[in-house]
Amino acid sequence: MNNVSPNNLPLGTTPAFAGMHKWLQRGLIVCLSALVLEGAFTFPLLAIWYGWPELSLQEICTEFEKIRFSDESRECIYPYPLFAPAEGAGQKTAQDVWGVQPRPQYKAIEYRELIKRRDDRLTRQAEGETDSKY
Amino acid sequence: MMNTNTLTMGGMTNLDDHHLRSRQAQWQADKWMMVGALFLGTAVFGLIGFPLFLRGLALQIKAQRQGLSVRPTMVTLIGYLVAIDAALNSIGWALDLVAHHTLLARVFLMAWGNMFDAGYFWHYNELWIGGATAPGEKGWEIALLPVVFCMRIAAAIGFLQMKRWGQQWLIITCWFGVVAWVGYIANMTIFADVRYTGVVFPVIGWWLYDIFYITPFLALPYLHSVNREIFTD
Repeated sequence: MNNVSPNNLPLGTTPAFAGMHKWLQRGLIVCLSALVLEGAFTFPLLAIWYGWPELSLQEICTEFEKIRFSDESRECIYPYPLFAPAEGAGQKTAQDVWGVQPRPQYKAIEYRELIKRRDDRLTRQAEGETDSKY
Repeated sequence: MMNTNTLTMGGMTNLDDHHLRSRQAQWQADKWMMVGALFLGTAVFGLIGFPLFLRGLALQIKAQRQGLSVRPTMVTLIGYLVAIDAALNSIGWALDLVAHHTLLARVFLMAWGNMFDAGYFWHYNELWIGGATAPGEKGWEIALLPVVFCMRIAAAIGFLQMKRWGQQWLIITCWFGVVAWVGYIANMTIFADVRYTGVVFPVIGWWLYDIFYITPFLALPYLHSVNREIFTD
């Protein structure tokens, strides 16, 4: 396979570029395999990180919306009306440090944190509290 | 009288037979690889597509070893992989551009955003056009989906058919890819506060995830150094 005699080279590959083509082929196979694995596992792993199956996809969507717009009253409407304005249009609750480089004030969501967040809220609601610290 | 139909080739009866068997072998391999690539392009069904694709690739390599005139392995790998790369990019961005209020987009795009790049989380679905709100992001989607990715898939098909226009347009669309990467990363870096604040695996996470989309960069040195005479007008 390392023989660079023109007779043994693939069609279109000249001896001068045989080594480069071999390495490019290895790189392509690595990329192909990585894209397959990423494609197959991204969705299930993300779903698990953010609380599925304890939380339904719509509940995850709801938690994202509450965090993103810093508004505990928000719910993920699904199915969303086809010609309605964007769900966040005109919102006034999201928290950022505004400037030429806006900086959001929400925190990264830790592993399975959305479940605890939902449970805490339900507990507070059960206790009759109204809490808008998020 | 000697003509092409009576020439004897190693192990073959004549040129016509060799040509016919080569075409059949290539088509047989391509059927497996095309079905595989369709699954691979969907991302989530990639594990179904991968063995189908590999089976096609193995058939083609086997035909090559038997002395049949099939496509070079590199042309096959580049053609399919560049098309798959474009398809995977298109899925995410098409979801964001036209399907931003579906549950799928509002869970998985935003989960991905919160994990790697808050361009897909910060103020999501607040613009009138919906979807990602990070500065510049929508412009890249509108430019790259129809111009780069659609054209690249078309070029890859021509390239797999060993057409000269396929090779030429693959060079053009892979260079588009260089512009896309440099411009996209520069934009993302300039607005890094929006994109990487409050993110689980910022910057390095993004690079580890996205580095495997560099297939157009791997294709370019080959496209520029391959003997162009193997492609037909």
